[in-house]
Amino acid sequence: MADYILEVNDLKTRYVTRFRENVYAVDGVSFKLKEGETLGIAGESGCGKSTLAMSLMGYYFPPLHYTSGSIIIDGREITGEDPEVLRRTALGTEIAYIPQAAMNALNPTRKIIKYINDVLVAHNIRLNKKELREMAEERLRLVNLPVEVLDRYPVELSGGMKQRTVIAISSLLSPKILIADEPSSALDVSSQKLVIKMLLDLIDKGLVKSMIFITHELPLLYNVTKKIAVMYAGQFVELGPAHESVFEPLHPYAKGLMGSIIVPSEGIRDEHLVAIPGTPPNLKAPPQHCRFAARCKFRQPLCDSVVVPERFASDGRLFRCLLPEAVLRELKYEDQIKSKQEDAEVELDVNIIPFAGDNGDGDSGKESGG
Amino acid sequence: MKHRLRTTFQNTNFLVGFSILIILLLLTFVAPLFMQGSPLDMVGTLFNKPGNYVNRMGVIDAPKYPMSIEVDSIRLGAAVSNEEAAQMLEWFEKSELDIEWKMLNPAKDHAEIVELFLANYDDSIRLPGTSAYRKGFTRLYLKVQNLLSADGYVVQVEDSSSDSGYREVTKIQSRDFTNVKDVPARRFFLLGTDNFGRDVFHELVSAIGNSLMVGLIAGSIATTIGLLIGLTSGYVGGWVDNLLTFVTNMFTVIPSFVILILLSYSISSSSRSIVVVAFVIGLTAWPWTARSVRSQTLTLKNRDHVNISRLSGFGTVRIIVTDILPYVLSYVVMAYILQISSAILAEAQLSMLGLGPSTTTHATLGLMLSWSMQFQAPLSGAWWAFIPVVLSIALISFSMNLMNTGLDQVFNPTLR
Amino acid sequence: MKGYTRYFRNRILWYLLTFVVALVLNFVLPRLMPGNPVASIAAGVTESLTDQKAAAEMLEEYTRAFGLDKSLPEQFLVFIGNLFKGDLGVSFRRYPTPVVQILKESVPWTIALQLPAILTGWMLGNLLGAIAAYRRGVFDRAIFPAFLFVGAFPSFGLAIILLFVFGIMLRVLPTSGGYGFDLIPGFNLQFIASAVRHYQLPFWSIVLNTIGGQAIGMRSMSIYELNADYVKYSRFLGIRDRRIVGYVFRNAMLPQVTGLALSLGTMVGGALVAETIFSYPGIGSTILSSIKAQDYPMISGATLFITVGVLLANLVIEILYGFIDPRIKANQQE
Repeated sequence: MADYILEVNDLKTRYVTRFRENVYAVDGVSFKLKEGETLGIAGESGCGKSTLAMSLMGYYFPPLHYTSGSIIIDGREITGEDPEVLRRTALGTEIAYIPQAAMNALNPTRKIIKYINDVLVAHNIRLNKKELREMAEERLRLVNLPVEVLDRYPVELSGGMKQRTVIAISSLLSPKILIADEPSSALDVSSQKLVIKMLLDLIDKGLVKSMIFITHELPLLYNVTKKIAVMYAGQFVELGPAHESVFEPLHPYAKGLMGSIIVPSEGIRDEHLVAIPGTPPNLKAPPQHCRFAARCKFRQPLCDSVVVPERFASDGRLFRCLLPEAVLRELKYEDQIKSKQEDAEVELDVNIIPFAGDNGDGDSGKESGG
Repeated sequence: MKHRLRTTFQNTNFLVGFSILIILLLLTFVAPLFMQGSPLDMVGTLFNKPGNYVNRMGVIDAPKYPMSIEVDSIRLGAAVSNEEAAQMLEWFEKSELDIEWKMLNPAKDHAEIVELFLANYDDSIRLPGTSAYRKGFTRLYLKVQNLLSADGYVVQVEDSSSDSGYREVTKIQSRDFTNVKDVPARRFFLLGTDNFGRDVFHELVSAIGNSLMVGLIAGSIATTIGLLIGLTSGYVGGWVDNLLTFVTNMFTVIPSFVILILLSYSISSSSRSIVVVAFVIGLTAWPWTARSVRSQTLTLKNRDHVNISRLSGFGTVRIIVTDILPYVLSYVVMAYILQISSAILAEAQLSMLGLGPSTTTHATLGLMLSWSMQFQAPLSGAWWAFIPVVLSIALISFSMNLMNTGLDQVFNPTLR
Repeated sequence: MKGYTRYFRNRILWYLLTFVVALVLNFVLPRLMPGNPVASIAAGVTESLTDQKAAAEMLEEYTRAFGLDKSLPEQFLVFIGNLFKGDLGVSFRRYPTPVVQILKESVPWTIALQLPAILTGWMLGNLLGAIAAYRRGVFDRAIFPAFLFVGAFPSFGLAIILLFVFGIMLRVLPTSGGYGFDLIPGFNLQFIASAVRHYQLPFWSIVLNTIGGQAIGMRSMSIYELNADYVKYSRFLGIRDRRIVGYVFRNAMLPQVTGLALSLGTMVGGALVAETIFSYPGIGSTILSSIKAQDYPMISGATLFITVGVLLANLVIEILYGFIDPRIKANQQE
């Protein structure tokens, strides 16, 4: 038994478009997860969180490609393994995935029971009809689905039923880690809570050891997951215990993101995307300096010229900003750094790191804009 | 809009298709400027093969240039076919004369074979076999007999004052040459002539133009009808939609080809002009466009901007024109392109069945194909009378399909 | 099963109604045109006959068959009545052979040619299209324009080219007819061998054209399906690629089945003209000679038959489709 159930080190993956351009959607993500822990990943759409979810599976197919880094599940490094071995022995059993659009995730022309059988056969588990049905029925009961679902086609199920069917299928082989990509985005609020509870139950029942939630609906998550990471332009800009990350965010982007959602009762929940002016950088050519600089209220001259490394606060939280921890802790997103003169006086407490010229893709040279 | 247009023209498929079409169009406009007469003038005779034709009297009249170019073997070689050369070899074998013929190849060494044949042929040697078989050799000998004569030909005109009744005009020696440019009367048939002796290239160029016109007229009619029906059906909904969809589906399933035949047949052949045929095709081709416009309209109908317009109290027509039409336009353009190319095919089909435009003044691709089939052009080996026509039809259709694929990629991009 | 029954009943009713509309069109179109060809043709045809007695007989037969002395609605009743008796009138061109008799001679040839050809082309096209979408890369890039180009040739265009290349230049296959002209149709080896040889060129010209068109459609359908969410999900569940390709192929095929139904009319039209290129003894050639001979009863009968054939084929496809696509059943249950 390893210390961590999941260890991700400097993972980098990219999309290759039809025009052979690279889109660096996940660009150096690291984190560790202990057994029983849950991680929530938040960010605007297009920040790379869905890509991260797929990249964590360790199984890459076009247009997504692996660049570098490692994923270690319970002591087993799955990056670099033969895809066929990985498919048979890791996908679904070590790590499983619940897709964003659970509504369309099932093959519309295959009965649920047959599909379940396909999943089992793919892992060399061959059951006779009776065993298969018993096993499938048991799993459906776990997610409160009637057993009749097994003989239905996905088109004959309602949205919520499809969602639960997908959860049952994803957890079929008792994976150690379950990654849920926006598991609730298409549902109403009460169904959302139900789905999340159902997912957490899987851990309680010991079917799943650890879970990662990807969402932009943070209010649903902060009292559910143990840790929360905020993603921006393919990188984590903040990662820490859920409560602190939400209520005392360090990174200016996290402050902006959280600032608008803390009080959902005020009905401004959906404004957080407009609250931060500007748009995320083009990930075909991400800036080499701070990626958030262009939209940052607290931007310093240096922010445009140095690479920002992952930094750790005194309590072990990760943040990616040049401003000193102490300054960040004091700053509120509503605050202004008073004037231009004062800007210069904010002391940046890291050593200036020159351009590394290495973005993990050999794309050296100066910033090509975004 | 400007951006769309630019990305469209950056798409390889679209660009290639568009270029092919433009080249064909340019051809129909530019080529006639260099042509004499009307495309349907009967200038030649049945299926003259492609090439440069010069007037034979003109050759005699033109200045001659004696040249020291070896021509005998060329003439000998050109005088007989491979089969005839093989027939000569057969004679050598059967006659059992002492002739070195085994090394000769009937497909290559025509000149040597003919020379040997002329030198050795003897009508008195009786070969085994029927008399018809033997006569074949005699005929062959007579055919090539004159070829080796170095004396050349004498050209005479009638002259009553002369004793013989003829007066010699000139002598033509085997090494006399004439510059083709000195012969005043010539005609270049790039693609030979058709069954009526018409210049195929000239005819083809005008036929491409006419067929494109058929496509444009028919496509415009079909697109207009389809657009009106599709928009009304999709936007108005209710029983109007049910009725229109019912009719549309019906006409999609009833083969339009059948309706085309019945309609065209019912129009007396004297009034079946190119425009009338195009109209008939257009009238039967709209269901496809109507279907695709309807389904697009349905998805647009409940978009926010349409709802806002509806709440603002704008009329149905206005909403359709300003809020729906611009969004379905890309599909309409794609459907229009397909309509044009399928109308060109439909015209060709009708013409092949004898129901095409009946005109003696204009050619279409279908009519050209129909004529060449009626006169058995393939059996005569006159490929020039039909292959270029088939290729033109295919090229037009290909270019339009390419453009359509390109537009599809621009309007419905998928990451792959 | 309730959903299915309802679906099938609806479809059959719909096709019956469409058939009635087709009948009306078949009847009305030639009669409503200026000059009413149905009325004037008989006069034209009989004029050209020298035998006065035969001409009078023909005119009488024509008037009887089409009820020309009656009003238009009455004519329609005569038309329908005759139709139910299986009487489509008498051919002018082959007077006094009944139209139905001529159809009986030519229909088997057309069906034997077009059904296998369209199905073969459809299947090959779908297979190639799916492979192109799945393999991508060079195979796709080379084969896609090739499909597009071949598909751009109408089947009669391909027919002419095949006829010229294989029948005339290479002389490997016969160029005209359905069997050797010196043979009498019968169930003997010599006749069958000859029929098979005569079958090749018309068959392949239809197949090639169909392949081109279908492959393009299947390719884009497959690309669409390959990008579908269920493909990604299945991959992450560890399901084998081959199985996933099976899903994609099946799901991409479904719209192609509907597509076949919708484009059948166009395909058959093209194929009928291809028949005429080879003087194949089917309906295409019959229509061609009937048009030349102004044989109206024959044209009307043949077009009616084509309509019925296409409608029936469509109905069969839709019924099959109901079974293979579960979505149909689901839609009916709402």
